[in-house]
Amino acid sequence: MTLLKKIVDWIDLRIGVREIVRKELTGYLLPRNINAWYSMGSILLVAFALQVLSGILLLIYYVPDADKAFKSVSQIMNEVPFGWLIRMFHAVGSNMMVLALLLHMLSVLLMGSYKRPRELNWLTGFILFSLVQGISLTGYLLPWSQLSFWATTVATNSASAIPLIGPYLVEFLRGGVLVGPPTLGRFFALHVAVIPLLIAALIGAHLFLLKRTGVSTPPFGQPETPIPPPADSYRYEDHPGGIPFFPNYALEDLRSIALYLACFLAVLFFDPYLFFPKDAFIPANPFVTPAHIKPEWYFLANYQTLKLFPNELIGLSLQGAAMTFLALLPFIDRGRQRHPLKRPLFLACFIAGLLLWIGLGIWGHYS
Amino acid sequence: MDHKRRTFLGIGLAGLGALAAAAVGWPLFRYLAPRSSREAAGKVVVPEGDIPEGGARFFEYAGSSAVLVRKRDGGLVALSAVCTHLGCIVQWQKESQDFLCPCHAGRFSTDGVVIAGPPPKPLAKIPFSVSGGNITVG
Repeated sequence: MTLLKKIVDWIDLRIGVREIVRKELTGYLLPRNINAWYSMGSILLVAFALQVLSGILLLIYYVPDADKAFKSVSQIMNEVPFGWLIRMFHAVGSNMMVLALLLHMLSVLLMGSYKRPRELNWLTGFILFSLVQGISLTGYLLPWSQLSFWATTVATNSASAIPLIGPYLVEFLRGGVLVGPPTLGRFFALHVAVIPLLIAALIGAHLFLLKRTGVSTPPFGQPETPIPPPADSYRYEDHPGGIPFFPNYALEDLRSIALYLACFLAVLFFDPYLFFPKDAFIPANPFVTPAHIKPEWYFLANYQTLKLFPNELIGLSLQGAAMTFLALLPFIDRGRQRHPLKRPLFLACFIAGLLLWIGLGIWGHYS
Repeated sequence: MDHKRRTFLGIGLAGLGALAAAAVGWPLFRYLAPRSSREAAGKVVVPEGDIPEGGARFFEYAGSSAVLVRKRDGGLVALSAVCTHLGCIVQWQKESQDFLCPCHAGRFSTDGVVIAGPPPKPLAKIPFSVSGGNITVG
């Protein structure tokens, strides 16, 4: 114990580590009525870190070559000791991460935490959401299965509806007229280098903004107080008399992370192929289109929207408009009230939007 | 009393942590561990005619490099081609009928005995048999 104290003293003398702990951990106070939904960010950090780690492990055996990719994934699954665990961890983990991200966004929407002065937090979060969709889409192609090949064909083909540049854009995305070996090279580089770096940078920006603005106070569980007028100069939202981040909320975070891992591992060990249709186990064949090719569950609503509109451009424009509306929501919804029950129009749109998304997804799944 | 409870909980938590670390660590170790080269060691068959008198043939054996040499007197030798100094692959010098390790100029005789340079041990000998015009190594 004295040795540990001596080491800490030695470091403290040089970089003032105890002051950092006081300021950033034990003295970092959070609102007294903070709830478990505020742990979603920590869960996502852990989920992203686990994806990076399992992804690096897969890189050891995966071969990004159209002739060898499927074989290398089969080898990971069947021959490498515990390869199936690492691969399924990565594949199931990506789905769980998207689910956690959606829940994080829904809780932020419901608690009005996107509102002034946190518009930039929302925007960076929204870009992160788009990047996670991008990394999922590019990762989908890598096993070079029938599912990978044809889901990528359909997804990249959507861009052809964009007037004038559409057809060239599709060719540019694919690296050729059709999905083929050049597409695998591009998607591999995007999946393992470009998008992860962008995500890491955006996470940094998101946390920096959180640090500068301060944690928002939940609109629930506290005596009603009048909403203060918007500040006309920069003000850090502190919470005097609040609960310390360490050890109090750090333990809450740990509990939420443990709950997330329990759900994740339950899927991983009891229903690992939940997200795998049978086409995921057949090597890609560019000459045979499978009968019912469907995207991942989180793209099903987009897929069904495109099917509903005979004109692909209208379908794409609608989705683009919806995404732009969501991205710019803090600039459109400028009311100061954050309690969902006191924002009936917002709450109605929130529930209707969510039901529409789920409904379109179920319809897309069974169509 | 409270102190005892804390100690008990601390030990319990440390035990659970150790179990969790083992549950993660063991699959990770097995995933990364090289597959035993001995497991993969099969026999290598080389036609006798492939090695001329005074010549050598390099091949992969048990996950490593090996070499077959036919001496000028017609005798055959099978050796590990990995230099015993720092693990470089030795090169056959047909003119001088010996092995040279290009990394630090270690020299070995046709039988793998050190004749010059820093290698501490001779090249390892590999068992082989000859029948029906084929050399079977291993």
